[in-house]
Amino acid sequence: MVKMVDIQNVTKILGQKTVLQDLSLNISEGSVVGLLGKNGAGKTTLLKCLLGFLRIDQGKILTLNENPWEFSAKVKNKIGFVPQSYRPYPWLQAGALIDYTASFYAYWNKTLVNRLVKEWELDLSNRISVLSEGEMQKLLIILSLGHEPELLVFDEPVASLDPTARRQFLRTILDIVSERKCTVFFSTHITSDLERIADTVAVLKSGNIDFVGGLDELKDTVKRIRFRSHRLIPADLSMEGVIVKQINDHDALLTVRDFNQERLEMLEKAFDTKIEVEDLNLEEIFLEIN
Amino acid sequence: MDINIKIYFQINPNSGVPIYRQVIDQVKIGIATGRFKPGEYLPSVREVSSALEINPMTVSKAYSLLEKNKIVEFIRGQGMRVPDAPINVKNNGNEEQMKALLREVVNCAQQWSLTQETVLKDLKQIWEVNSHGQDG
Repeated sequence: MVKMVDIQNVTKILGQKTVLQDLSLNISEGSVVGLLGKNGAGKTTLLKCLLGFLRIDQGKILTLNENPWEFSAKVKNKIGFVPQSYRPYPWLQAGALIDYTASFYAYWNKTLVNRLVKEWELDLSNRISVLSEGEMQKLLIILSLGHEPELLVFDEPVASLDPTARRQFLRTILDIVSERKCTVFFSTHITSDLERIADTVAVLKSGNIDFVGGLDELKDTVKRIRFRSHRLIPADLSMEGVIVKQINDHDALLTVRDFNQERLEMLEKAFDTKIEVEDLNLEEIFLEIN
Repeated sequence: MDINIKIYFQINPNSGVPIYRQVIDQVKIGIATGRFKPGEYLPSVREVSSALEINPMTVSKAYSLLEKNKIVEFIRGQGMRVPDAPINVKNNGNEEQMKALLREVVNCAQQWSLTQETVLKDLKQIWEVNSHGQDG
């Protein structure tokens, strides 16, 4: 697999705070990776580092095989980015901002941009200053897609969008990834959107990647299990992979990582009981991990 | 086509069951109930992912697992075909899963004070209606 982004042992300090600590992460070509993390976990900092908006203190980052701090124009032409909030040139009309942005790139897909403007019902004669948050976000997304980048990076792309616009956004991304080779890396709080389009999930926790892997794999292996036994269940029951545990003499409720049939049988044997295994969705897993 | 796909596949992306497993289950159910008939082709990966707004890799993962388990056959240049001979969807643990579902049914029935006879009668009727659907 070709690595689109290769982050190795990166540390980033902002002021007194170590925001990223010895963080490593790879993003392979063609994948759609969702970055999850609580407020202040360092999501935006990580995205800014791999795009060269922030200089890292330690470690190494290669984005499309280049050091982000010294990106060539060639690589910049292959990256699309939507920041969390950005409102440049308030006096310009939306249409003029599109033309202005297009002029920076070697290639610009006018047909795609016009189609999206129409689908997303943007009025290009409006000035940037009067656009609503949602309209501004739509415009920024369109601006990031016009040059048909190979790598798309979104920081909370749907935060200001209404449910209809969010679906349109998801559909657009799905169209893009199924039409041509494109890698997408986005941070979000909205786990339900991530569940639809991401194949990989990375969870950022206290400046480090706490989990990275397939979304299916995560759902297949993180389980909540519940059992009642006539035997006394030790309060200090220890088992590999337990994230959360509640034990009350004869009842146990555990959330376990890397759960499998073997472990299920082992527990059933140890406590001579039937164990209920509950599937967890991404939001529940996220809450349990944090 | 979109509407048809939404009828064929009931997918809940926000469930704890991974989407690829839901797609597999829906195809199996579709074949068992006659929605997908022998000789027919499943909708393409592209059509399913676009109609359901899910990642195409997820759909192709489900399809290749279905092919691996011989639930459907891959025909070069055509897609995934439902085999002519009825397949025996045998799966270890099916019986256990069914028992768990039935336990829930019994729990509800007792909570709502329904008699065993009523529930069995309804079950039989639903069973028959379903089998008719398969014939026609």
